[in-house]
This record gives sequence, C-alpha cells and structure tokens, in this order.
Amino acid sequence: MTQPNRLPSGLTDRSRMLNFTWNGRALQGHPGDTLAAALLANGERFVARSFKYHRPRGVFSAGPEEPSALVQLRNGAAQEPNTRATVAELFDGLVATSQNHRGSLEGDLLALNDWLAPFLSAGFYYKTFMWPKRFWETVYEPFIRASAGLGRLSMEPDPDHYDHGYLHCDLLVIGAGPAGLTAALEAGRAGARVILADEDFLPGGRLNAETHEVGGMAGSGWAAQAVAELAAMDNVRLMTRTTVYGAFDHGIYGALERATDHLAGSGGKPRQVLWRLYTRRALLTAGATERSVAFRNNDRPGVMLAGAVRTYVNRFGVAPGQRVAVLTNNDDGWRTATDLQAAGIHVSALIDTRAGTPDIPGLRIETNAAVRRTRGRRGIGQITLTNGAVIDADCLAVAGGWSPNLHLTCHQRGRPEWRDDLAAFVPGRDLPPGMSVAGAANGALTLHAAMKEAQEKTVTLLQEMGFEPTGAVLPKASDEPASITPFWHVKGKGRAWVDLQNDVTAKDIYQSQREAFRSVELLKRYTTLGMATDQGKTANVLGLAILAEAAGQPIPDTGTTIFRPPYTPVPIGAFAGRARGKDFRPVRLTPSHKWAQEQGATFVETGMWMRAQWFARPGEKGWRDSVDREVQMTRKSVGICDVTTLGKIDIQGRDAAEFLNRVYANGFAKLPVGKVRYGIMLREDGICYDDGTTARLTETHFVMTTTTANAVVVFRNLEFARQCLWPDLDVHLISTTDGWAQFAVAGPNSRALLSKVVDDLDLSNEAFPFMACSECTVFGGTPARLFRISFSGELAYEIAVPARFGDSMIRALMEVGREFDAVPYGTEALGVMRIEKGHFAGNELTGQTTAAMLGIGMMVSSKKDSIGATLSRREEMSRDDDLRLVGFHPVDKSSELNAGAHFLTRGDPADMAHDQGWMTSVAWSPELGHSIGMGFLKRGKERMGETVRAYDPVRGKDTLVTVTSAHHIDPEGARQRG
Amino acid sequence: MADIRLSAAPVLGADIAIGDNRIVERDDLALVSVATPQGGDDAIAAALQSGFGLPVPGPVQSSGQGDMRAVRTTADQMMLIFPHATPDAEPHVRQALSGAGYTTDQTDVWMVLEISGPDTLAALERLCPLDVAGFADGAAARTVMEHMGALILRLGPDRFWLMSASSSAGSFCHAVELSYRNVA
Amino acid sequence: MIINHPLLGPRDAAEFVYLGDAGLIGRPDGMADNAADAFHDYTYLRDNPAGEHRELWYHEQGDRSWLVITRNTLTHDITRVELARDVARTQGRSR
Repeated sequence: MTQPNRLPSGLTDRSRMLNFTWNGRALQGHPGDTLAAALLANGERFVARSFKYHRPRGVFSAGPEEPSALVQLRNGAAQEPNTRATVAELFDGLVATSQNHRGSLEGDLLALNDWLAPFLSAGFYYKTFMWPKRFWETVYEPFIRASAGLGRLSMEPDPDHYDHGYLHCDLLVIGAGPAGLTAALEAGRAGARVILADEDFLPGGRLNAETHEVGGMAGSGWAAQAVAELAAMDNVRLMTRTTVYGAFDHGIYGALERATDHLAGSGGKPRQVLWRLYTRRALLTAGATERSVAFRNNDRPGVMLAGAVRTYVNRFGVAPGQRVAVLTNNDDGWRTATDLQAAGIHVSALIDTRAGTPDIPGLRIETNAAVRRTRGRRGIGQITLTNGAVIDADCLAVAGGWSPNLHLTCHQRGRPEWRDDLAAFVPGRDLPPGMSVAGAANGALTLHAAMKEAQEKTVTLLQEMGFEPTGAVLPKASDEPASITPFWHVKGKGRAWVDLQNDVTAKDIYQSQREAFRSVELLKRYTTLGMATDQGKTANVLGLAILAEAAGQPIPDTGTTIFRPPYTPVPIGAFAGRARGKDFRPVRLTPSHKWAQEQGATFVETGMWMRAQWFARPGEKGWRDSVDREVQMTRKSVGICDVTTLGKIDIQGRDAAEFLNRVYANGFAKLPVGKVRYGIMLREDGICYDDGTTARLTETHFVMTTTTANAVVVFRNLEFARQCLWPDLDVHLISTTDGWAQFAVAGPNSRALLSKVVDDLDLSNEAFPFMACSECTVFGGTPARLFRISFSGELAYEIAVPARFGDSMIRALMEVGREFDAVPYGTEALGVMRIEKGHFAGNELTGQTTAAMLGIGMMVSSKKDSIGATLSRREEMSRDDDLRLVGFHPVDKSSELNAGAHFLTRGDPADMAHDQGWMTSVAWSPELGHSIGMGFLKRGKERMGETVRAYDPVRGKDTLVTVTSAHHIDPEGARQRG
Repeated sequence: MADIRLSAAPVLGADIAIGDNRIVERDDLALVSVATPQGGDDAIAAALQSGFGLPVPGPVQSSGQGDMRAVRTTADQMMLIFPHATPDAEPHVRQALSGAGYTTDQTDVWMVLEISGPDTLAALERLCPLDVAGFADGAAARTVMEHMGALILRLGPDRFWLMSASSSAGSFCHAVELSYRNVA
Repeated sequence: MIINHPLLGPRDAAEFVYLGDAGLIGRPDGMADNAADAFHDYTYLRDNPAGEHRELWYHEQGDRSWLVITRNTLTHDITRVELARDVARTQGRSR
C-alpha cells in the first residue's frame, strides 16, 4: 500500500510519481511535494531525534521555521545535514535519512540522555564541566563533541559549485503571498523594475494553504493568475526558491537562490546563487509564523502547528493524521477543524482555551480548556485535557497565534513593538532606510487587510520613486475571523517544550529566571532558547511570554531579542561562490611565462604574480644547484630575469618633477633627462615603505618603478598627494605595469649582448653610463626602453618592450645570448645576488625601518619638504645607538645562517633585555663559498669585525657570526659602473 | 641582429563560443590614455574634435562609435580606443592632439574582450556589480569583476567590451566564460 | 554600502578603499618652525566620533577619485560626498 495518508485534494501533480528513499526504504510522492509532505503522506510521523535529549520528533511545521524535522539529503560527498524536510523539494531519486541517532532512528542508544534530563537542565555545561580542570581536554571535550551536533558532514570536498550575482531594481518585494503578489502587480503595472522573491517553489504563500477565495476564485488560482501576469512583464523578475536573508546598508539585500537543489543533478550549473540586490525601495511581505502552546510532552510526533496541518491538507493533499484534535487560543483553530472536516478527516475534538465559541455541527468542542499532556509511544496517541477529559488523537493541531516575520526589519538594529490585540510583536518604527512592511509581516493578519495594506504602501513607494500608480481595484477578498486571547502555558508536572530545536522547556526558563539570568539576552544564552538553525522562529515569543509569566511582568517590559542576518541558514559554499581552488583569486602572469614553463621553471607566488623561481637543468639535484649556477653564470657572463612585476607608473605634467621631489625623500627636482635615480619613499610617520627607480624621459615625462608588493599602495598614495595635498600641481598618473615586458640583463657580458639587440644606440660607458636611460628600438624597429640600473651589483640593464612582444623578446634575447652562455635566472638567484650586493628588500622593510637603520639617513633631504621627512628626523628615529643594517659571515664557514636569528653580544644571557637585533636575510653565496646574511644590529656600523651570537631558539641554533659590511661583494660598485 | 624580428602576440587569442554567445579578444585595438593638463579642458576638447572628430565623453560615457571610442576613465583622463596595428599608437595620438594632452600607451596594459550573444546580460549579472541592463549604448564604466579591475563599455543590446589587466587576462577571461556557462 | 559618487552616481563600497579622517588633507608645512609638533598632531591625533564623520575614501576600482564622505558612524547614513580635490582647494590647498 502506498501513501496511506494521501487525500484526493491539493495542488500537487498526481499524474506523476516521484520515487525517493527514506532511511533506505523506497517511498513515493508527487511533483509539488516537500519531503515532509511526502513523508507524512507515507505515514512517517517519527522522523527525527531531538538535539539534546534525543526525543522522538516529527514534522512540526510546513515551512522554513521547522525546528524538528531536520534530515540529511543526498549521499556521498553531496550529503547535506540539518536540512529542513519542510522546505526540501521532492525530486525523483532523492535519498534522505534521519540524523542524530546512534543505531536506528527508532532504537537510538542516545535516547538515554532523556533519562538523564534532570542533570542536563539549563546551564549544565557551565555547572558541570568546571572541575577537575585536567578533564577539560581529555574527557569533557571529547564527550561533548561526540554527542553534540545534529547531522554529519560528508568530510569530503563539496562537489557542487556556487555563484554570485548582482541585480538592480526599483522595488524589491520580499515574499510572494497575497500581500507580495498584490504589491508586485501594482508596481509592475506602474512600470517599475520589480524583483519579487519567495523562498517557496510555489508562489502564493498562505493562499496555497488556505481555502480562502480571492476575486471569486480559489486563492491558489488567483495566485497562479497573478504569477502569470507578472511573468509576462519585462520589468518584473519573479525569483522563486530565493530567500532574502539579510537587509544591509543603503538598500542592499542578500538573497540565496537554490537554483538546482530541487533537481537530481545540477547539469553543471551552480547549485546555488548568492545574489546582491541593489534596491531603491523594499517592501517586506514575508507573512507570519505560527507558534505553539507549552504543555507537557507537546513535542511528540503528531503535535503540529495548526496552520501547517491546513497546509498539508489543502496544498499537499496529505492527512497529517486520521483522528486530529485541535488546540487553539484564536479563531484559526476553528478554520482548522472545518478544513479537516471538509477533507473528510475525523476531528476528535476542538479544544479552545477561550469561553463561549460557536458550535460546529458534528464536532466535539471543549471550551475553557487546554491540553494538559499527551501520551503515546513514538508519537501521540491520546491527549488529556485540563478538565480531565481524555481524547484519542494521532495528530494534535496547535493554534497558538501568529508572529509577524519581521526578522529583516531588525537587521539594522530595529526594535519590534508589542501589540496586545494581536498578542504579537510587530515591526517597530526604526526600519532599515528604504524598507516598508505590509501584510501579515506588519500585523495585518487577515487576507483583505493584508492585500489592502500592501497596495496602499506600494502606491506610496511608487509615488516616492516618481512612478504613476495605476490605482487598480483590489480583487474581492474577505477578512477571516482572527480574534485571539493570549494563552501560552499549561503549568503542571512534566516537561513543557518551548524550543523544540534546542530542547528548551518552560522549566528551563523558570530556572533561568530563578538563577538571575533575567534579561532576554541572558535567557537566550543560558538556555540556548532561540539559537541554532531555526533561530527560534516558532519558540521566541512563547519563550518570552513564559519569561514574562515567571517574572510576573508584561511581555513588553520583558523585551525581545532582535535578529541579525541570515534569516535562514546560508551555506558557506554560497558565500564563497566561485572563490575556491584556483579560482580563489586572480593569477597574474608575466609575458615570459609560457617560455619559462617550456624551460621547466619552478614558479613562486609573489602576491598574485607567478614568477619563475629557478630554472632547473638536467643533472641538478636540488634547487640550490640551479640557483648557484644561475648566480655564477650571471656574475661570470650574463643572466636574464623577467622583472615585469615591478610596479610601473607613468608620471607626466608640467609639475611632475616637483611632485616627485615631494613624494620621494631624496631630491628629484634636478634629475636630468635621460637619467634614472634611485629613490626612497617614507610614510608620513617617517618610516621607509618603498623604494625604486624613476627615469626621466622628457622634461615633463617620468617613469617610476615600485616594488612588486607595493605597486598598488604607492599608486594610491601618489593619487592622494596629487588630489588631496597639492590639487593644483599639473601632474598625471597612469599605471603601465602590465604594458611593458621588462627584463633585467645582468653580468659582465650584458653590454655585449644588448649591443646586438638595441638598434642604433651607443652603449659605451661614456655614452650610456650607469643610471642612464633612453627610449630606443630593438631588433630592427620594435619600440623599447633601456635603463642602465643594477640590482645584482653587476654591469646590468633593464630593457622593456611592449608586452605583446614579451614572449618574442625573451626568446630573441636567449637566442642572441647563446654565444655568451646567457642563463635565465629566477627570483631565488635575484635574491642571492641582492644579498651578496647588500641591497635591502621586503625582508628589511618591516614597517618599522627608518632610513637611518638602512644606512641611508643622509638621503632624506633636509632642504625640502617631502612626505615623512619631518617625522623621520625625530630624535628617537635617528639615534646613534639604534639598529643598523650590516652584513654577517659565519665564523665557522661551513655553518649555515638563518633569517630570524637574534643577535647577542658574546657572554650575555639570551633574553630580551640583551637583544641586539636580528638577521633579516640570508643566502648561500656562490661567490664567497659560504653562507652570508644581513640584518639589523645595534650600533652595527661601529662593530665591524666583532663576533656576536646569532641565536635562534626556534630552530635550536646558536651560531657565532662576524659583523661585516652588508656589501659582501664589490663594495665600491666598480662592476656596475664599468 | 638583422635576422631577428620580434612578433606581437595577442594576450590570450581568446575566441570562445558558448551556445550562440561569443567571447573574442580584440587584439586589433589600440588604447591610449589622454590626461588633461590643468586648465587645458578647452584645448583638449578642440584637439579631440579636430584630431579624431570626437567630443569629450562625459562621466560613465564614451563618445564615438563602432571601434573608435573615447572613454572617460578619471576626472581628468580619458582613453582613446581605435583599430591600430603597429606599436606606435601613442605617438600617433600625441601628434594628432598636438600636445594638448599627456598621452600614455595603454594597449598592452589591457586585454579587450568583445562579448556578444543572447545570454550576455544574464552572464553579466553573475560578474558585474553595475546596472548594465540600464546602460545606454556607448555607456562605459570602470568597476571590479571577480576581484579584478575592469572597464565595461556597451556597444549594443547584447554586445559589450570588457577590458581588464593583461597580466591577469587568463583569470578574467575564465571568469567571463564561467559566467556564460553558468547561465547559457 | 553605497557611495553616491559625485561624478559617477551610486557605486558599491566594494569598489572603494577606506583611508580615514578627512583631516589628512590638512597636511602641515614641513619647512615651518613648528613642523615637528604640527606633524605629530597631523599623523597621530584623530577624533573618533560616534556620529557624523568626514572621511577619505578612494575609488580604486573606479575613476581613482579621492572622495570626502560625510558618514554617520552609528547608522552608516551618508549625507554628503565630495571630490577631495575640491575640498582641498576649498581649504586653501593649491600647489
């Protein structure tokens, strides 16, 4: 027998069957079912174990508020825990399992926890896991970890992919129930750009769940008709399966679209899309959520919200039980009973907590009564009333009143206000700017009132935005009776459940009050009321009411917690979007990248750039072999390195020279045309943050280079100086970093090599000396720029060609270089050579480094005002006994130095009080045949020849080193000037 | 070395079809930035008109049509885009403007992708934070796409130029292609 | 957040980089006698108002304008957006 509880009515497609499995058993449902609906249709009442006590739980609601029916969907790597069965759309082949039990669902071993309940009340963590301290990590944490949580992750990489997107609209309508459809129709007809978003796959909201009529037809029919009209409008975008989860600053909303979750496979498309919605106005028409009443064992499978019972009967055509009792404190209960009767379901009794309500023919009615307790194994079978009556029921529909879905109104700290007539919180006056609220979400809990308010508010919003409302007549809809007399809690023995997801009882709330956790914020954290995936959607107001009852004060005086994003859970994968694996961030490649790959280069990430680190050759046993060879060949003959990654900024203007003079600490005003100058840049606090060279191509045209790492920051700072500090200087900036393929050609044969490359330019030392620059052409006419600068200390040049020629250029350079045994070298060899030469770099520019420390204090000109100059001259920044950059050789030439080692004067104890500085950079010098280093040493310049300890407790090393000049090779600079 | 000549290569040479959509690298276009000297607005306007027959574009706009465009890039800079085969676009513009502006060759700084096809607007929703559906033909703006700076210019109902840095062109083109694949 | 750029219209704050107090426009004269004191105050002393704040933002992924934005630090309400270059000129900065 299939689907014993399926009714002939409802909006699902009975012509088609969907097969799915539940805990391995094959079941069937129909298109249009949620998993919860299909489970109920198949008579599955007991579907979950509760979080803390592992009590049997069933489907409680029919929407996103579900606290109990959390399940695992799919299997393998795609397994997704803690999914609400009430919103999971059924598809053919769905695999679903229950969670949070050891052994079978029915025979869960951890159900023992329920017997331990007296020891596990509110605050038990804080009271129990205090002592002994050594148990914290060895006993308590493993124990808690083992029993905490609900579902299980697959522990495999997420096989799905996700996307982000951006949408713009005049009006965002959040929720496509009667109010939202009314608003979207009004705004769409007026020509506004509208986005109508609904988390459900079927728009219509409660119209699909109730038996109301709109415009003389079934409410669900009117909703379908409205949707059809909206779908035909180009200016309206209807987004189903899309939850607006957050209201952010300035009209930005976050929305999660579950694009392919309802399909067996994604077809290669993103599973979910996280949308950023830019809106001029937003109308929140998110409806309301029903709440329960607290009484003993009100958590048994079969106890459901009355509105959900109507949803299952009217929308899904599913009978939640065969003998249904209804408990109500408002008129909704009556409608529940009549809807059930109309569907042919036996109603055991209608229990109204109020007095004097009208008769319904053929129905047992108990007034002035409530449910004292439920009984039943693995589900409800019988209820006992406060008047002593005992009634058989396999389902109890509880109508405790409705709470407006005002969550998004709180996302910018808006505070809800209490309304006695509704016994509910409604949105306060401090809404996020641009947001309005209408319909049930605003406390207009009846149909006509909701539609009317939605239309009125939409008209106002349209007028604010300059649209002409069409003033269409609202379709006829009536206001159903909705009177409520608050009733929260049946006091008495046993556990009355308030928050089903966190297993919080009325008793816990009383205890919290007794133990002085009386503020709602403290109550929440002490009892966990309102936490976890459902964030207390069905529990919060009930919990507050019981706290107020315990405190003997009205609810408004008790206060309420407010909500923050997200409204419902958003998978981390959706937030990440595409940003995973190699798509985590962009990759920048130099023009010679393809060639370097062909050469077998090993690459290193420097920022976003991929740079060749070294070029291994056959027979080389490790990276050191390659690097040593590259250094030796460069110093012996010539080496070529791609230095495209250095930042390049084109600077032009009548005042460009004056501008440079102010942004560099050293003088630039008098740099001649055709020359390059090295410059250092300070922060305004006097610290060195970048260095580089700037070439003067013409009177008004300069080309600046920055370090690779600081290219963006330097550009930003130059724009700041240009726009904010000296707004009338005529100077203009544009980045050309990517525009030029630039290669360092270094070594004694670099001139000879380049002479065969450059057209018609005299490269002799006299005509093109150290620090000369020129625009030129190469290889018979390709435009180029040549700079005679050296980072290696050798005779060296940098030659740049437009990037489109970069690949061709490196191949040509290597071809020409063959007669000189030219080698390509990578960043490691570059680093070795700069350390040998004593050039500082990123390791030395720590953000605390002064020019004096680097030994270039005299470069900071005192004859002009430049950025950082004034504060660099502070006494403490230029003390004679401060750190100075010097070089180091190991006393035992066979020992290897480590960067990060701290210096100690011999004989001093190894403590901070005696710290003398630290090693910043080390390398094995092929030229010297031993390890060398540079670093900051107190009074370093005065200590040449002294032996100090390089103490490195992290690596367990303690090495004696001799203080030397940082310029390990060619300190006079004869090579680079030759 | 008289026997060696350098050859120019496109950044990627991209030519990708996704359904009826196309992503094509336009390596035949030259880009030259023109900065307006302080106080030189009138001179620039006159030079641009006489040299290229183009008015100075306003914010979020380009002037010109087809493959010949001037795009406003900053408060005092614009970019000229035009078909030009040889690497001398900058001297060409400098000469045509007779020194009215400061010119910098940007051809190799950028990669230009021309994207077109029926899913173009849907693909851009996954990539571009700007309201490009509301862009008039010729509208142009700089923004950020998948963490990369970009310039977008609308050529027609379903046709755009997307420009981004040449060094990260592979990542950028991948992002554009993925945007199409996710919607087409 | 949305920043309503005076030239380009509303743009997502993701295109911008934040710097801080707009007082940084008022850089002292490094050649003045009291330069050390003036730079100390300029570099290190800031108000940290709970409420309206004038601050510098840079449109890095846009037109590279530096902007002075008047923003309420409690509500994020932005009441004014100006080109920093114009503000600097108003404050007498020139060359």
